[in-house]
Amino acid sequence: MATVSSETLMEQFYNAFETWGLPLFVPQLIVMVVVATAVLIFVAVSVMFMVWWERKISAHIQVRFGPMRVGGWHGWAQSIADGIKLLIKEDIVPEGADRLVFALAPMVVFAAGFAAYVIIPFGPGLIVSDLNIGVLFYISISSLTVVGIIMAGWSSNNKYSVLGAIRSAAQAVSYEVPLVVSILGVIMTVGSLSMTRIVEAQQGVWFVIPQLLGFLIYMIAAIAECNRLPFDIPEAESELVAGFHVEYSGMRFAIFFLAEYANMFTVSAIAAALFLGGWHGPLLPGWLWFLLKTYFLIFVMMWLRWTLARLRVDQLMNLGWKVLLPLAFLNMGITGLILVLRG
Amino acid sequence: MSPQEMEIAEDTQETMEEMYVNMGPQHPSTHGVLRLLLKLDGEVVTEVIPYIGYLHRCHEKIGENRIFTQIIPYTDRLDYLASMYNNFGYVLTVERLIGIVVPERAEYMRVILGELQRIASHLIWLGTLGLDLGNFTIFMYAFREREKILDLFESVSGQRLNYAFYRIGGMPLDFPDSFLADCKAFLEWFKPRLPEYDALMSDNIIFQKRVQGLGKLDAKTAIDYAISGPMLRASGIKWDLRRNDPYSIYDRFEFDIPVGTSGDVWDRYMVRRIEMDESVKIVEQALQGLPPGEIIGKLPKKLKPPVGDIYTRVESPRGELGFYLVSDGSEKPYRYKVRSPAFVNLSVLPVIGRGCLVADIVAILGSIDIVLGEVDR
Amino acid sequence: MTVTQAVFYLMATFTVGASLLVVLARNIVHCAIALVFAFFGVAALFILLDAEFLAATQVLLYVGGITILLLFAIMLTSRISARGGKIMNEQVGISAVVALALFGLMVYANLKGFPALVPPMLAASDNTASLGRLLLTTYVLPFEVVSLLLLAAMVGAIVLARREQGKD
Repeated sequence: MATVSSETLMEQFYNAFETWGLPLFVPQLIVMVVVATAVLIFVAVSVMFMVWWERKISAHIQVRFGPMRVGGWHGWAQSIADGIKLLIKEDIVPEGADRLVFALAPMVVFAAGFAAYVIIPFGPGLIVSDLNIGVLFYISISSLTVVGIIMAGWSSNNKYSVLGAIRSAAQAVSYEVPLVVSILGVIMTVGSLSMTRIVEAQQGVWFVIPQLLGFLIYMIAAIAECNRLPFDIPEAESELVAGFHVEYSGMRFAIFFLAEYANMFTVSAIAAALFLGGWHGPLLPGWLWFLLKTYFLIFVMMWLRWTLARLRVDQLMNLGWKVLLPLAFLNMGITGLILVLRG
Repeated sequence: MSPQEMEIAEDTQETMEEMYVNMGPQHPSTHGVLRLLLKLDGEVVTEVIPYIGYLHRCHEKIGENRIFTQIIPYTDRLDYLASMYNNFGYVLTVERLIGIVVPERAEYMRVILGELQRIASHLIWLGTLGLDLGNFTIFMYAFREREKILDLFESVSGQRLNYAFYRIGGMPLDFPDSFLADCKAFLEWFKPRLPEYDALMSDNIIFQKRVQGLGKLDAKTAIDYAISGPMLRASGIKWDLRRNDPYSIYDRFEFDIPVGTSGDVWDRYMVRRIEMDESVKIVEQALQGLPPGEIIGKLPKKLKPPVGDIYTRVESPRGELGFYLVSDGSEKPYRYKVRSPAFVNLSVLPVIGRGCLVADIVAILGSIDIVLGEVDR
Repeated sequence: MTVTQAVFYLMATFTVGASLLVVLARNIVHCAIALVFAFFGVAALFILLDAEFLAATQVLLYVGGITILLLFAIMLTSRISARGGKIMNEQVGISAVVALALFGLMVYANLKGFPALVPPMLAASDNTASLGRLLLTTYVLPFEVVSLLLLAAMVGAIVLARREQGKD
């Protein structure tokens, strides 16, 4: 899908509205709604696929089969069945919980996760909005997730939820810093925050090669941001504190679940765009390459979950602040030095 | 703190700084119905108070009202993850009380089944320890191996879990014809599995960082608290009843006793891990030396031991399992007491659990390897 | 009324409304959440002024940093079911006078300085690049001083938070 034809399409669309006498913002609004809906549908389908895929991957690592029956071939409809089950569950709000905040928290978490899709470059020209603060936008919006988590934990009126929320928030905030610093190397090399410019700059060499350290730090920090094993203390079932979403059931819990997998897709997509060359690749169309790279990184995240044990909370903090952050600064420093020397 | 003070303290939660938190009795990581009251100061545990008794089934009182042979199925349900060994310890006690000689073949059968049971019990311990620390995969692998052992046991006794297979004086049934080949095949399958587990657990730096230096139990405290089994050996004391107070025909077999140094969770893990290797060796030697012959000695119809008492102990997978029988000359014991290793080992948890983080309590409890059936009887 | 004007009035109302909620809500956590909305409103106003870097930084620092700090402080110090603090205290009268005086001053200054509505001056080049250039050339000294100040604040916070028992 070349950019030229889509532009002329858009022009024709806007011109049509102009001839009807409506101001410009009406077609703009319609386009926004259509694109948002398309992205929402993509997120929903993608999450359902990832849930099924996780169960299959975990099963095969554990020498068993996973879903095999629902829908026929390898239980592909299992996610749909799970989704329907969660939808029709009774909506339980704990007594003494703050109803407004309790209802708002999953929305905030999901909104933060969903808003990040604005800057994901699915392919050449296939980006919702090529903001010139692309990467910074993602970083800002992802910090809203933490507010949602704290809201969820606090409003459940449960001391363990609050503890779990505090731990989760502390972990998310701690790992945001090495996450950001590790991307700085790429941003300095390209000289722009815009996602399309960063992907276009990888025509020759993917940034994973000069910025290998940055890539590794980014992946580790990204797994911590998503609360996945080995960093899943906030959600650990076999730990004492069961997590910030313990009081949520039914559709509200489904939204948290959805947000977690959507977040996984987002961090992998950004890693693919920033480090693995985005949509560049021979033969296949750009968007297909992008999806392949993203899902490969998601596969690695799932593989790690089912292989490793869990880090304790102080070891986690140690790793983030004392190991990843200095390494990320080192990476940034070396990149800066090389850029200055190259002139 | 008296129980009354404890009850009051449970209700007052002043700040997030210091609070009482309840773990169990329904909890995925307490390995049964165990309740742990943790006094937390932030993330640090300042006190651990175990509450037991949720699985008490009056085992010893029931024993007073059953004839000696009828107690055997009850012993299965003590440490239900190592049923063969409970049977072993009990029938050994009665045999020594009466003075029965067990035929050779039965002795070999007992050792083979006992050591296979030790491997199965340690596999559950390994899987659940991994599960508690977040490693779900080792749980699946360990249980896959254990399924094979349970298949062997099913072919021998007809049961997967509570076998009641030993009898006073020998064994009830002989091995089926396929058993020798099946057992050898299992051992061949199992031997390369243990290095596989190492890749997932022992060699994994996350696991090492989680357990090294945790829950240290020094030798003096271990002896003071009457700890036994792998926990004692991990604290540096080379004491294994199969070597130091031999029973049955264990003195005929060559095997090492792994000993730790600092008594932390890592040492306990390595001791049990190596013990699995050693049990494989014992089973191989026993299979080689298995003689033909009788499987049960001659016994009177009504078993009436002489008046007197006896205490016999065996090295179960959890430690020193002891049976104390007092006989008054009748068919039923006058007093029947079980010294369960898990109960005694659990008593040291308040000592070694102090000062660690909340997440570590789970790891330490996993390393003590308790079974509530045995703790509560 | 152009679209920009309409959006501006909408976002301004939203921000003022959220700010009012911050001071008027009974439940302190509601206040903190209303503050999040107020910050978002300000970020939206920045975007209307074509200052997109400031908008993103506003969200990142205020929502992602300050609000979370506030929420942590609230959760770690108050009881779970703490509801209903007093909104007003005895000094309502004096503070009303002061606030109204300040408001009057600001209105006067604004009307004097910007007598007519003007469309916003839009940036000529990439916001981030020009800000970065300014910070590292013209304003490099204040930039370094501010970072030293932040370092001092961090060290001070760590020292204050250490317990007497000497945790590592």
